[in-house]
Amino acid sequence: MAVTAISETSQIHRFPQYKYIHAVRWLPVLSAFNRFAVLASSDSDSDVSSIEIHSFKPNPISFDLHSSWASPSPISSLKASQFLQKSVIAASTSSGSLHFLFADSSDGMLESEVSVPENELHSVGKSCIDLIDGGVECVTVGDDGKVNLVTVGDSNLNYRRLFDSDGLVSYTAVKWASPVEFATGGYGFGLQWWDQRKPGDPVSQFKGNWDTKLTSGIVHSIDIHPSRKHTCLAGGSLGTVLAWDLRWQQQPIILSGAGAGNGAGNTAVQSISESEVWEIQYDRCIKSNTSSTRILPAMICSEDGILGVIEQGEEPIELLAEPCAINSFDIDRHNPLDVICSLEWESVAILTRQ
Amino acid sequence: MSPNSTGNGALVPFSGDTNDSLSVYTLHHGLSRPISRVAISWSRGNSLRVSLFAEPSGSPDAGDGAKVVEVKLGGGDPEIDDADWRRIAYGSVAPFALLQSRRSSISALSKSPSSYHSDWWEHVLQYSKDITSLFTEPKLALNPIIEDPNEIVQNKEEPTCLKAAWELMEIFYVDKQSQAWQPERLVDWLADYDCLFTSTQETIHGKLVDFQNDLVNIQVIEDDPRYWEVMSSALSVGWLDIVVKMLRLHGSYKLDQLSYRELENGLVEAVAVLISKMPRLRHKSAVGNLGDCFKSKPDFIKAWEKWRSQITKLDCSPFWIQCDNKQTREGLRNLLQVLLGNTESLCTASCHWIELYVSHFLYIRPFTTGIENMYTLAQKCIQLKPPTGTHRLTGLMIGILAENTEVVLAEISREFGPWMVAHAVELLTAGSEQAEILLHDERYNLGGISMMELHRLAYAQVLSSHALTWQIAPIYLTSCMKQGMGLLENLLYRQSVQHNNLLLKNIEICRLYGLDHISSNIMKVAGVYHWKHGHKGAGVYWLQQSQDTNCLNRIAQQLFDSVGKSISDESFKQWEGVIELLGSESKPAGGLEFLHKYRDFKKSLQMVYSGKSADAARQAAGSLVLLMKNPSTPQRFWLTLLYDSLKLLNWKDSPLLSVSETHLLLNKLQELSLARQRPQFTEPSLPHQALSSIRLALATNLGRAILDE
Repeated sequence: MAVTAISETSQIHRFPQYKYIHAVRWLPVLSAFNRFAVLASSDSDSDVSSIEIHSFKPNPISFDLHSSWASPSPISSLKASQFLQKSVIAASTSSGSLHFLFADSSDGMLESEVSVPENELHSVGKSCIDLIDGGVECVTVGDDGKVNLVTVGDSNLNYRRLFDSDGLVSYTAVKWASPVEFATGGYGFGLQWWDQRKPGDPVSQFKGNWDTKLTSGIVHSIDIHPSRKHTCLAGGSLGTVLAWDLRWQQQPIILSGAGAGNGAGNTAVQSISESEVWEIQYDRCIKSNTSSTRILPAMICSEDGILGVIEQGEEPIELLAEPCAINSFDIDRHNPLDVICSLEWESVAILTRQ
Repeated sequence: MSPNSTGNGALVPFSGDTNDSLSVYTLHHGLSRPISRVAISWSRGNSLRVSLFAEPSGSPDAGDGAKVVEVKLGGGDPEIDDADWRRIAYGSVAPFALLQSRRSSISALSKSPSSYHSDWWEHVLQYSKDITSLFTEPKLALNPIIEDPNEIVQNKEEPTCLKAAWELMEIFYVDKQSQAWQPERLVDWLADYDCLFTSTQETIHGKLVDFQNDLVNIQVIEDDPRYWEVMSSALSVGWLDIVVKMLRLHGSYKLDQLSYRELENGLVEAVAVLISKMPRLRHKSAVGNLGDCFKSKPDFIKAWEKWRSQITKLDCSPFWIQCDNKQTREGLRNLLQVLLGNTESLCTASCHWIELYVSHFLYIRPFTTGIENMYTLAQKCIQLKPPTGTHRLTGLMIGILAENTEVVLAEISREFGPWMVAHAVELLTAGSEQAEILLHDERYNLGGISMMELHRLAYAQVLSSHALTWQIAPIYLTSCMKQGMGLLENLLYRQSVQHNNLLLKNIEICRLYGLDHISSNIMKVAGVYHWKHGHKGAGVYWLQQSQDTNCLNRIAQQLFDSVGKSISDESFKQWEGVIELLGSESKPAGGLEFLHKYRDFKKSLQMVYSGKSADAARQAAGSLVLLMKNPSTPQRFWLTLLYDSLKLLNWKDSPLLSVSETHLLLNKLQELSLARQRPQFTEPSLPHQALSSIRLALATNLGRAILDE
């Protein structure tokens, strides 16, 4: 069931799934022999949404369903992390519920589930979540302007509202920066920095009017590198990728996008895409000669079917150019050469870079 | 529709003698009471949603009052399920788009309206190969390490009628390169797809499989008449490697029998060698196939004559008399008759008329060219072996051989549906100008569109009806000159704006095809949707994107109802986010631009309160006048603004407002007191003495300003 293609730079395996894949993640596991991926899928024939764990074996190539859990409604955001001896999967649904699934780290079997019911955290609409690295703390934000913190304890599940904009500001992306800080993104390329030690409003807001020529857009994804917590990397509409340095708030660095090259202080950069950048992550394959003043290389996937790496002041590198949208991707943290991505046309691709 | 009530429960009377065009679906609704009302609407794909309402009942425990059931129309394709059809639909987008772009670049170069071009067929062949690759399900090729000596027929991938039909069209319409050996391509085609005909009648493939299944139970293979029968059948359709493999199963090859069956074995081997040396007029042999291939006709004719004379020589050889095994002797000589093209032997050996047809090309008329001859031969074969049932592929085959494009279109449309027609049209028009005229001519009875466009539109409609495939419909719609754009606009308007991802994908399609007016409308709808659902920020964003100042003005009024009442009000902080969202002032914000000015005013006012800078105070006063002048400033804030600015009005050093500016503010105050008389006026929550203190401050300022000037 796999189609394999080998290019100069990478080996690509495509696996048709015959259902729509909303999001995809590698599952952090302890075992060196087993590789697992988590898929959030929707079967259009039976109207069943589920979270599936697939096991990936490179030789002979296979990507088989390992275990699955039926979700009450389609998944809108999916994150995976490692906590003690378990793999944790957090997923928010389009009906507003939030689910935590725990899987055995060595055999990838789903063991238990806890959830926050609908309408407790968010009203119906898209919500976005981020799971803290190595923990079970989850921050959730939504179109309704609510920001919540959910923690899974030994026997219970706690959640509290950190902020409610009353719908005046909608949030479309969130990312932890440290155990107490996180960043959110929203409409109009808005970015906010939050600190739990200073409850209430965001401690810092990205000033959006730095360039009047730039057409406004929506932030879809944020990443923050653990070694550079002051820089917030955001991807969104019109192929825009920008870095917001908290120390130099007035001058964002545009790495790609329609507005690139127009902004003051930005040297002309080539855009890798002109449409929505659905997800962005720092590329974990870092070359040793990366300068400390530069923004680290980042990987993006886009609506026009591009999976690529962009680096400040360099030509972007295209890893995949598909005829359909690439909706999400994930870089394996243990084998950063391996990238998994979900394609609009009901399939999943796994890329092994050389 | 027949509810489970007694008697004739049908809601719509229909007579029992149904003809083909009427299909009956039975619904199981489980309602206990009689049905009083039925509502029918389209659901996803080709499903109908039927809502059944029972007659009202007085008692509360009379069961459900209504039920909604979905009825899936049509059985679907028996070979390919919906998910697989979608996979084929996705995969065919890129080849289709590539071919269309090639066509337009070629016609732009040649400046002629016709796409007919001397080597156009090469592009179509590439397209055809790309499409064919979709029909094989991507499976892992598992080659057994140990080959089974008794395996005659290899278990290859399951072929589909769809693939067979596509390849048949490719052979006859597209592949100009192998036109000279078209009959041989038909032989290969039958070798791949003979098993498909097993569904309607007996075939050689079916016989072979049956025989193979019995093989383990047979002691002496050459004594079994079926062994010889199956072999002559396989030989008649040119499956040389299978025949040679079976011949080598002959008992005389066994080591313990070789010594006393030497002569018999010699004859078997001689026939096997002759079979494997059969000359074939073809480019190259498929991997593992036997036979000598010749590319040029003269070489082939020479080799053919020589081979025939060798067979005749063997047929007349005296060794046959010395061979004492009757079964072997007769079986082998029958094989030789097949090779010599004995019509009777061929007719008994084959099952289906297509098999007989192919055997004619192989052994009787190896030099046949030209489709007219092929058609007459096909008719002859049908007479000799009348088909016992109709098969999806035979109708298509006859249509192709009869050179009747309309029949071919009708067959593929009926048997394989809209995907097939929309994509196969490219094959039909590849080589024949006649077909091209037929398909490309605009027709009055089709509303001025061509048949090609009609079929593409029909396919696009199928794609549009499914949530996962609607995104590829635009590619087909934009290739339709007349009606495509209109339908595309419809399609884009129809999509839900509820989910951002879907909305953005929709807008992206608008961007790709330059449909700015549509994306602007879609964004407007999205803005109103979000606004209504309390996502105020998102609503403002989308309305701003669609540049709908009208709508923005209207929602601004509602929004200001909840703006902070005074400068000390902490709640104004939450508006910061919306102001950020509005971006720079150059962007259209409608009535919301007040927020910008209000914030600037508040900022400078805050500076005045924190320090005593005269410049800051002058700036704040300037902002105040701007705000009061601006028509977008809501009346209900006038008093609040003035009250907040009391400090400015009473500025100690010098009056901050000129005479005319003070007059302006006084006029506004006057206007306000008139507005107070109206019933819908809302009183701001200010101290009682607010108005009088503002009046006093303004009067003092006016006096000082007059003195100054």
